[in-house]
Amino acid sequence: MTPAIETIDLTRRYGRMVALDKLNLAVARGSIYGFIGPNGAGKTTTLRLLAGLLEPSAGEVRLMGQKLRIGGAQRLVGYMPDFFGVYDDLRVWEYLDFFARCYGIEAARRRRTVNELLALVDLEHKRMAYVQSLSRGMQQRLCLAHALVHDPPVLLLDEPASGLDPRARVELRELLRTLRDMGKTVLVSSHILSELAEVCTEIGIIDSGKMVVSGPVDAVRRQLEGGARLRLRVVRGQETAEATLRALVGEPAPELPRLRGVRYDPADERVLLVELEDSDEERQAALLTRLVQEGVVLSEFRTQAENLEELFLRLTAVD
Amino acid sequence: MQRLRSWRPQLNPIIVREVRTRMRGVRPYAVLTIFLVLMALTGLGIYQLMVQQARFGGTLLSAQVGQALFKGLAFVELLLVVFLAPALTSGAVSGEREQLTYDMLMATPLRPAQILWGKLVAALSYLLLLIFAAVPVFSVVLVFGGVELAALLKALALLVAATVCFGAVGLFCSALVHKTARATAVAYTLTLLLVGVPLLLASVWGQVTNPPGQAVPPAVLYLQPFSALLSVTTIAPTGDPALPFFGYGDPFSGLPLLNIFAVGVVHYGPAGPVVLPIYRATLLAYGLLTVLLCWAATHLVLPNRRWRPRWSDLGFLLLIVILLLVVYDARSWWHVQPPRPF
Repeated sequence: MTPAIETIDLTRRYGRMVALDKLNLAVARGSIYGFIGPNGAGKTTTLRLLAGLLEPSAGEVRLMGQKLRIGGAQRLVGYMPDFFGVYDDLRVWEYLDFFARCYGIEAARRRRTVNELLALVDLEHKRMAYVQSLSRGMQQRLCLAHALVHDPPVLLLDEPASGLDPRARVELRELLRTLRDMGKTVLVSSHILSELAEVCTEIGIIDSGKMVVSGPVDAVRRQLEGGARLRLRVVRGQETAEATLRALVGEPAPELPRLRGVRYDPADERVLLVELEDSDEERQAALLTRLVQEGVVLSEFRTQAENLEELFLRLTAVD
Repeated sequence: MQRLRSWRPQLNPIIVREVRTRMRGVRPYAVLTIFLVLMALTGLGIYQLMVQQARFGGTLLSAQVGQALFKGLAFVELLLVVFLAPALTSGAVSGEREQLTYDMLMATPLRPAQILWGKLVAALSYLLLLIFAAVPVFSVVLVFGGVELAALLKALALLVAATVCFGAVGLFCSALVHKTARATAVAYTLTLLLVGVPLLLASVWGQVTNPPGQAVPPAVLYLQPFSALLSVTTIAPTGDPALPFFGYGDPFSGLPLLNIFAVGVVHYGPAGPVVLPIYRATLLAYGLLTVLLCWAATHLVLPNRRWRPRWSDLGFLLLIVILLLVVYDARSWWHVQPPRPF
C-alpha cells in the first residue's frame, strides 16, 4: 500500500538559509507519526509544505499516492497550525460551521458534522459559548475539530500539546488514539518527545532541516541504542560489586559483557548503573552469576533501556 | 469526497461569518448612532444658518433651504464614508494574519477572490447600512424642495461608488501590509493623497501654467470625491426666466468650505456659474480603480507564488476590458472641457 504521506528530497530555502534539506519521509496509512525536533529544526516548514501553504524549493510531496500540486492538499489534509487564532464574537458551533461552509458542505450534512465533531472533542456543553471564552485546552480541541470538518484522510497537527496542562495532554493523547481508530493518518509534531512517545506508532527525529532517524518507535530505539544499561540494586556487598564491575571496565573478560562505565544512581545510593557496549543477554546472565558467586546480594538486576528523551537529546546535541 | 466536490451554490462563508459577528457588541450600534446624530446635527445647523441669513434681510425661499440641506448633508455623509471605508476594510486580511487564522483559512479550498469579495461585501454592507439609515435624515430635503430626484440619485450613486472604491483601497492595503495598524496608516495616506493632491494641483494650476490663469484640466479632479460631489450638488442658474430665483445668489448656498472644492469644477462666465459634470468620469474612474485594486489584492493575499497567472485573472481582465469599452463608448458623456475664457 502506498504511504499516506511521502516526501522525496523535499527541500525548502528561505533566501540563503536551508530550512529543509532533502527530507525523505514515508508515513504509513493509519499510523500516528511523531515528528520530533528542537525549535527551528524544520518541523513547521515541513507541515506547511505538506498542507500546501508553502511551495518546495526542490523535491516533491505525495499525499495518498498523489503528487501534491498547489491548492491540491486542501481536501486531503486537515491542518492545525502551531499558533492558531480564534475569531472574536463567534460561538463554538459557528466556528465549526464556518469552516464546514469553507469546504462547501451542504446544510444538512454541516449540522450533523458540527454535532459529531463537538461530541468527538467533548465540547457539546460549550456549543453556544464564545470561542475566546474557552480555556486553552478547549480551544486546542476545537481547532483540532476544525481540521476534521471535511473528513480528511490525513491530519497534520503542529505542536498540538504546547501550552496544555497535564490533564489536557492526556485528553489530547486519547483523542489521537481515537483518530487512529477512525483510520486517520496523523502526523503530529512536537519538540517535547515525552508528549508523543506513548501514543505514536512511528517517529522521525529532525534536526537542522535533516531527518536524523525515522521509523517505528521500537525499531528507532533499537537502531539507536547500540548498547544497554544495567540497573543493579545491591542489598549487601556494595564495595565488592563496585570493585568487580570497575575491574571489568577497560579489561574485558571472556564470556562477560564489555563495560563502558559504572556509576551510582544519584537518586539512590544503593543502585549501580552499568553501561554496556552490547545487549547480549547471555553475557549479562554471566555477569549476574559472577556477582552472586562473589557474595554480592542483589534485589534488582535488570536492563534499563535508554528512554526516547535521552535518545533525542543525544541525537540533537550541539557538537 | 465526490459529494464534497459537487460544489453547490451557497453563500460566501466569509460573508456569513462577518455578518454574524459584525453586529455583535456595542460598537456597531454606537458608530451608527454617532453617524446619525452627526447627520441630524448637520441638517439642523444648516437650517439655522439659513434662518439667520433670512433674519439679516436676505430673501429665503424654501427651495434654497432644500438645496443647502442637500449639499451639506451629502458632503458630511461623503466625508464620513471616505474616512470610515478604509478603516473598516484595512484589517480584513492583516487581521486574519494577526489573529493567526490566516493559515487555517488558506488551508481551506476558498479562493483568494472569494475571501476578498466576502471581506469587501461584509465591510461595505455595514457602510451601506449607514448610508441607507441616513435616508430619513436626507428626506428632509424633499420637504423643502428645490432638488431634483435625479440629483439625489446621482449623489447616492457617487456615495456608493466612493464607498466601494475607498473600501477597496483599505482591502488592498490590508493584503499588502501584514499589520493592521500599518495597513490602516497606508490606507489613510492613500486616501489623503487621492483627496489632497488633486485639490493642491487645482489650486496652484493657474499660477504654474504659461500663460498664467489657464483653467484646471478636469482630469486632475477625476479621483477627488468632494469635487465630484460638488459637481452634482451645485445647482447652476438655468437662465430660464420662469425660474428667476435660481439666477442669483451663491452657488454654494452660503455654506462654508464648499468653495474649496469648486476650483476646476465651477467656472464663472458671463451667464453666471457653469458646473462641469466631472462626477461622470469619477464614477467610471472609481469603477476601474476598484477592479484594479481588488485584482492586485487577490494576488497579494496568496501565501506563495503571488504573481503567477491564475484563472481568476481572466475574469478581472474581462471586467477591465468591459469597463474600458464603456469608457470609450461613453467618452462624449464623461469627457467634458472647461468653457473657453471670455
